[in-house]
Amino acid sequence: MAKQVIVLILASVLFAPWSALAAESSCVECHRPQPGALGDPVGQWEGSIHQRHGINCSSCHGGDPTIMSMEAMSLEKGFLGVPAEDDIPSFCGSCHAGVMEDYLLSAHGQALGAGGPHCVTCHGNHAVELASLDIINRDLCTRCHEYGQADEMKSAMAKVDDKISSLQEETRRLRKLGFATEKIKNSIFSVRNQFHQLFHTVNVETVRSQTEEFSQELEKIDQQVAAMHQEVKNRKLLGGGVVVVLGAICILLVLLRKTYKDEEERVHPPGPPSMRP
Amino acid sequence: MSVYQRVVDWIDLRLGVRDILEQNLTHYLLPRNINVWYTLGAVLLTLFGIQFITGILLLVYYVPDTGQAFDSVQQIMNEIPFGWLIRYLHVVGSNLIVIALLLHMLSVLFMAAYKTPRELTWVSGFLLLNLTLGLCLTGYLLPWSQLSFWATTVATDAAGAVPVIGDDIVRFLRGGAMVNEATLGRFFALHVMGMPLLFGLLVGVHLFCVRRAGISRPPFGDGYVPRGPRYTFEHEHHYGGIPFFPNYAVKDAAVISFFLVLLAAIVFFWPTLFMPPAGFEPADPFTTPEHIKPEWYFLWAYQTLRIFPDKFLGLAVQVAAMTFLALLPFIDRSRERRPARRPLFLICFVAGIGVFVALSIWGHYA
Ligand code: HEC
Ligand code: HEC
Ligand code: HEC
Ligand code: HEC
Ligand code: HEC
Ligand code: HEM
Repeated sequence: MAKQVIVLILASVLFAPWSALAAESSCVECHRPQPGALGDPVGQWEGSIHQRHGINCSSCHGGDPTIMSMEAMSLEKGFLGVPAEDDIPSFCGSCHAGVMEDYLLSAHGQALGAGGPHCVTCHGNHAVELASLDIINRDLCTRCHEYGQADEMKSAMAKVDDKISSLQEETRRLRKLGFATEKIKNSIFSVRNQFHQLFHTVNVETVRSQTEEFSQELEKIDQQVAAMHQEVKNRKLLGGGVVVVLGAICILLVLLRKTYKDEEERVHPPGPPSMRP
Repeated sequence: MSVYQRVVDWIDLRLGVRDILEQNLTHYLLPRNINVWYTLGAVLLTLFGIQFITGILLLVYYVPDTGQAFDSVQQIMNEIPFGWLIRYLHVVGSNLIVIALLLHMLSVLFMAAYKTPRELTWVSGFLLLNLTLGLCLTGYLLPWSQLSFWATTVATDAAGAVPVIGDDIVRFLRGGAMVNEATLGRFFALHVMGMPLLFGLLVGVHLFCVRRAGISRPPFGDGYVPRGPRYTFEHEHHYGGIPFFPNYAVKDAAVISFFLVLLAAIVFFWPTLFMPPAGFEPADPFTTPEHIKPEWYFLWAYQTLRIFPDKFLGLAVQVAAMTFLALLPFIDRSRERRPARRPLFLICFVAGIGVFVALSIWGHYA
């Protein structure tokens, strides 16, 4: 996580001035109209999690996105080209270092180049989306082996995954009610990232034991959220009381007014008032 | 003789308070056909009282500094006991006040209570309306949230439509090119000191005018005849009317408690009715949030600015409309106050409300 943050900051320092200069990078501008494999990446990348976080073509492929010619892709400008299969983990790992470490030590990483999947196999290259357990599915995983262990891992992680999602949803709701959820949000986010990284070990035992630890951590966060929910309930209870009391006062006053009105009409029946001086 | 009576006697001997109370309460007679709309002034006084108290309480913890304002409001909402209640009362209260103000003004319009001799009452009331909107505008910035920042940016931008000196006005309002520390400083000073002082003064003037001229008689019923022209001052008496206290004061209190029920219901059950999510994000001058809209009571102005091809034209139309309203008693000079006999006025009245509502809805969804 820390490394990711540093890279992010570096990336924003490096790329912000460029993107400020040209609204759209030369890479995008020149590649968009091209047919087939040269143009497709642009459409796939747009709307991806990378594009939304300001990760551009040149963040991954290198090169100089301010030059509007083939010069943009020269080696002197740091152009990396298209990574070979074996280089993909380090290609992505320049930013996702923690994931890469876990991956390289895993059965999948060990089998890289020998039928093992790499980052792009599971996440795609340009249309990368927010990671979720949905990636673990029969279609993908049975391309190479049985689904058994995959399924075990998925179900072991599902509960924590759901808990994380529901906690995120609840904190968003509480925030809209004015609760200070910044701290809770950050701790959930950090748990989430560490947890989603865990999968890359593809080791059922590791996943099981660590999932337990994550559960306990989430339990603590859950208590804080529950306290806020209780507070919301208490407020409504108090509010119910206040509204009822005020409402009763209002009705009493209306009735009281009615008695005065009756009295006024008894003394002075309705009709044109006399203009006594 | 009880202690209480002795104390009252002692004071009465020196100040004649019993006389004052009698004159203004039990012997203060109101027209017999007085209706519920006349309670709105008292409702407004109460709501402003609540704003005043909750405002002072908020001031205890609020810090008018761009680096700390948002956090101090978060602290009020989350750490100070019942801070959330105080803040929501202040926020929701301000919106209810605008609603009550509009109703008060509309009822005065409908019953033509602004006509001679109540022009000054109307003008002072109209100034109060503007001052209230000013209080709303300046208060909106103080939490220094995304909502505050961008709504204020949009609102102050409008002044840029003035030809030649527009940019200078914007700069003056903001104390710089952008909404910044200096803007917060001046808005804070205006919101907690400048405007409330002026407000107190104007309420005094308004009430004095109301009391001095005498409350108007509702222009309804068989017995109603417009008053003839006057050449000297004359208080409008309502002989044979109903005493203000307790007969009408009870009605005042009933409507006030109705508004308090409304206030409490919103504060406790729907506190974010007037607070979109951007109100809970700290201000960030570098990211414009989507769907930033001014408060609902400024939407009509916002939309007017957008439908005219030329911004200045839009602004001019607004200024013209407000000036027309301000000077209405001097424009509409007939003596007739019965709505049924003022068809032209009625058409304008309904059309005016319709345009206001339509522009607001349009502005909301545009
Ligand atoms: C002036 C147009 C133009 C610009 C600007 C441009 N490209 Fe290209 N790019 C091309 C063309 C044409 C090809 C195919 C060339 C080839 O096959 O040798 C290509 C090929 C590529 C490839 C595939 C290379 C391979 O080895 O298959 C990548 C990756 C790429 N560009 C990325 C970038 C990036 C990143 C940038 C911005 C820094 C960029 N391009 C800017 C026109 C451009
Ligand atoms: C998240 C990093 C990342 C980003 C951002 C990215 N790419 Fe790629 N790109 C890759 C990877 C990884 C491959 C190799 C994919 C593979 O081997 O399947 C690739 C392949 C390509 C290829 C070769 C495609 C082929 O089938 O030969 C082109 C062209 C390309 N990218 C252009 C772009 C352009 C243009 C952009 C900006 C719109 C872009 N890329 C953004 C990672 C990225
Ligand atoms: C230039 C740095 C960089 C490179 C290179 C890069 N990414 Fe990312 N990636 C990011 C950033 C920034 C985010 C969004 C912030 C976050 O979620 O951590 C992100 C997010 C992701 C996510 C979603 C994470 C989540 O929270 O669910 C996935 C999956 C992902 N990247 C996969 C890849 C893959 C696969 C590659 C290689 C093809 C790659 N990334 C290359 C910077 C990079
Ligand atoms: C491109 C082929 C490929 C795909 C796709 C693939 N794997 Fe694997 N997987 C392997 C290889 C190769 C191994 C190591 C050899 C083995 O144990 O069969 C492996 C091993 C595993 C193991 C056993 C690890 C151990 O320690 O014994 C698990 C668990 C696993 N994969 C889960 C998954 C899941 C879950 C998916 C789907 C998201 C998936 N795999 C998709 C190729 C693949
Ligand atoms: C076998 C398929 C597979 C491979 C190979 C794989 N991932 Fe993942 N990745 C997943 C799944 C599944 C998740 C989501 C796990 C979850 O929801 O708990 C994930 C989550 C992530 C996340 C989000 C976790 C976080 O820390 O934010 C990132 C980033 C990521 N992968 C990057 C990579 C990179 C980089 C590589 C290559 C080094 C890679 N992945 C290889 C399947 C894979
Ligand atoms: C800011 C808050 C305001 C307060 C606290 C306030 C208060 C009051 C009170 C207490 C009364 C006497 C009772 C009544 O008729 O309701 C009154 C009357 C009146 N107000 Fe206001 N008012 C305010 C704003 C306005 C506005 C915006 C207008 C119009 C533009 C206005 C115009 C009048 C007029 C013309 C009367 C005389 C009504 C009559 O005699 O029938 N007031 N106001």
